[in-house]
Amino acid sequence: MEKPIVSMRNIVKRFPGVVANDHIDLDVFKGEVLALLGENGAGKTTLMNILYGLYRADKGEIYIDGKNVYFKSPKDAIAHGIGMVHQQFMLIDELSVVENIMLGLKEYGLVLDLKEAVKKINKLAREMGFKIDPWQKVWQLSAGEKQRVEILKAIFRNVKVLILDEPTSVLTPQETRELFKIIKKLIANNIAVIFISHKLHEVMEIADKIVVLRKGKVVGKLSREQATPQLLAKLMVGREVFLEITKRPKKPGHVVLEVKNLKALSDKGVLALKGISFKVRAGEIAGIAGVAGNGQKELAEVIYGLRKPLEGKIYLFGKDVTHKDIYERIRIGISLIPENRLGLGIVGEFSVAENLILERIDEQPFSLNIPLLSRLNIKKINDQMLLKYSRELIEKFSIVTPSPFAKAKTLSGGNIQRLILARELGRKPGFIIAEEPTAGLDVSATEYVRKLLLEMREQGYSILLISGDLSEVLSLSDKVMVMYEGEIVGAFRPEKVSLDDVGLMMTGVKRMPREVIEKIWD
Amino acid sequence: MGLEIKFIERELHPIMYIIVPLGAFSLAFLCGGVLMSWAGVNPISGYEAFISGAIGSPVKFADTLVRTTSFLLMGVGLAFALRARVFNIGAEGQYIMGAIVGTWVALLLQENLPPSITIIASLTMAMIIGGLWAGFAGYLKATLGINEVVLTVIMNWLAFKLLQWLLRGPLKNPLSEMWPMSPPIQAKIPVIISGTRLHLGFILAVLIAIGGYFLMFKTNYGFKLRVAGMNPDAAKYAGYDVRKIIISSMILSGSLAGLAGAIEVLAVYHFLYEGISIGLGYTSIIVALVGKLHPLAIIPSALMFGALYNGVVYLQSALGVSYTLSKAMEGMIYLFVLISEVFLKYKIRIIRR
Ligand SMILES: Nc1ncnc2c1ncn2[C@@H]1O[C@H](COP(=O)(O)OP(=O)(O)OP(=O)(O)O)[C@@H](O)[C@H]1O
Ligand SMILES: [Mg+2]
Repeated sequence: MEKPIVSMRNIVKRFPGVVANDHIDLDVFKGEVLALLGENGAGKTTLMNILYGLYRADKGEIYIDGKNVYFKSPKDAIAHGIGMVHQQFMLIDELSVVENIMLGLKEYGLVLDLKEAVKKINKLAREMGFKIDPWQKVWQLSAGEKQRVEILKAIFRNVKVLILDEPTSVLTPQETRELFKIIKKLIANNIAVIFISHKLHEVMEIADKIVVLRKGKVVGKLSREQATPQLLAKLMVGREVFLEITKRPKKPGHVVLEVKNLKALSDKGVLALKGISFKVRAGEIAGIAGVAGNGQKELAEVIYGLRKPLEGKIYLFGKDVTHKDIYERIRIGISLIPENRLGLGIVGEFSVAENLILERIDEQPFSLNIPLLSRLNIKKINDQMLLKYSRELIEKFSIVTPSPFAKAKTLSGGNIQRLILARELGRKPGFIIAEEPTAGLDVSATEYVRKLLLEMREQGYSILLISGDLSEVLSLSDKVMVMYEGEIVGAFRPEKVSLDDVGLMMTGVKRMPREVIEKIWD
Repeated sequence: MGLEIKFIERELHPIMYIIVPLGAFSLAFLCGGVLMSWAGVNPISGYEAFISGAIGSPVKFADTLVRTTSFLLMGVGLAFALRARVFNIGAEGQYIMGAIVGTWVALLLQENLPPSITIIASLTMAMIIGGLWAGFAGYLKATLGINEVVLTVIMNWLAFKLLQWLLRGPLKNPLSEMWPMSPPIQAKIPVIISGTRLHLGFILAVLIAIGGYFLMFKTNYGFKLRVAGMNPDAAKYAGYDVRKIIISSMILSGSLAGLAGAIEVLAVYHFLYEGISIGLGYTSIIVALVGKLHPLAIIPSALMFGALYNGVVYLQSALGVSYTLSKAMEGMIYLFVLISEVFLKYKIRIIRR
């Protein structure tokens, strides 16, 4: 029998308050895709960080090609052919692609020769079957392109084992397909790939073997042939999960948000919104479908107040908020669940408790008046209230954290999203913009968030749902709009549309007549 | 083909934040020793003089605390600006403005009002002027996006020119022919230990540092300020008025520097002269950084730099080391500490295009 390229034996890793990895054994073979599955906080990233030398295991051994190895840092792991693309990209935005790839390469020392490197990068990219401009700065790249840079970076270092931590949670379906092609090329080159994802259909498609973790322990090892989505979900969660959701019909209420002829520029200075108008009513989920990068992000930012529109009007609960700042809009009743979680959503160095009241720090009872100073809006933070409130939210939204005092950045990816959801929904805003609310969440959390959104709809909240996951948009929304190149090219009730038509609209091939769109807007 | 230097942020074990500055100090002292022996001074006796100058006797230690006072006030103020990611290089100018206005108000009022009221009025006005002087730079940064580093450096120069002009004109002491200086001030901040120069301002500075700690870590204002500095995008997203935070942090920073300037005049010199600040404001930036921008940690940091400052002065007078040499040693310590700060924060790479 073939020997594994990587074996991890009896790995134990404890963090204050949690056993992230509890005696884990893992074997990885050349030319195979191994999928690692598990709920948020199950310990997947931790295990991979140990293999990559970022963390040191409290106990256990790692064997590479049968040899016992000991990694002090990622440098050692890289030297043994381990590469990792993290859940959050580790690229430096201001640097170019080639600089990012070359940085940290020991043999190149302090002075780098970029021209040579560019030649090599272009050759590698050609072999892998994709294009990339090595001179482009990273901030100009899409998520999919950034990921390719990360993969190139690993290949550049001659990886034998490539770890991809939730690579698809930031990708459009098209980009995911591209990624799968790349993965197939990698395994054809005898590289082993460890693939982490919460999307079961992806795992079923790409994995050769599947390992399921729950609460730091291995609870299942299967081959693709043995696995079904239901079985995997059950293994992960420990109970049956209902992957289907039911939505009760509901008559929408009064208008909560109205935007009229919104136009706005993107960061790159091109017109990203070309005159958008629609209404969202109370007790209604309005879904926006479309390939990422067609103006959805800018639309969310303009409505929330992060981006100034060039033209147009925004009415929230009947008030013209076009020129109001975010502080006022929040008080009128808006909240945003941002796609960019680490950049916007949390302050990593602050505690979970502090992050949970980010927007409410000025409010009673989280801040108490101090004589005189209160006139300057300087108030004493009420630590007890803060703690009480955060404990409630942690409990209600099942955020897995050792304590309310833990730094937000130490939470697992999915729990960071729960933190943001807890904060944004916990303050009961009338209008919610949800950008990719379930990206990176495990099956049960996804189920939970979708149910929560539907529940909020039942209670009369109004929700603008922006998601690249078409099935999510179609199953949750009361009405759906398709955005293409900054315009709404289609609008329909989700039950009255064919998937083919949606696909054609998303790629700009098909366009619905204005009158039809306008009827649904209302 | 050009070379380019890139700074990449990194994170280190917390213990390094103590080890690295200490290492920087030791290295600086080692180099200082070499410098001294090169200049013909025995480094051992040099450092003996240095230590005795800083803490050798109660009187000298009291003098060190006097120096600590200005570092502490300015350091705490700077901590606010720097935490809000406003690089206020202008403490020097804000200090000079505070000294000028403090002197002026004291001279105007001391004839007719009791010293206590004169002092309070003088310090208050110094804080207001310092705050406005810095707040103006903050305002231009927040509204027009003008680089605060360039701006505050220019304003430092302006403040110094103003000082020079005033001392030869409106604030000139007619009795002093040789030195440009102001008339003497009778309203003096009281000394707390007789026989030394340790004055009430030191107590005030420590209280302000404690208050600064409270403001930074226990109030909604400090909370928002720290968020704005750590993640400005998150601050905007949470609905904070980031401009207001930038401006107010500058006002706070400037008012404490202004206060330090007026205290120096009213407690130590009792007149205004050109040498009222010889780079104290610049040193305070290092004080704040070494104190990790934490108002309470800035207390020992200010003390350390106060001792350093006085030690160097004494070294000069006791051993006849030249002014330039002693200043070179002081500068070297700052340089080492600053470089170590940069290395603590960043990985550095040179890139060839
Ligand atoms: N640096 C750290 N400090 C403290 N606790 C940590 C740290 N890193 C991870 N943890 C904890 O260890 C547990 C496992 O986290 P891990 O990131 O491995 O989960 P995961 O399986 O990758 O989850 P997700 O799907 O949400 O990304 C979590 O409870 C997390 O809070
Ligand atoms: Mg993870």
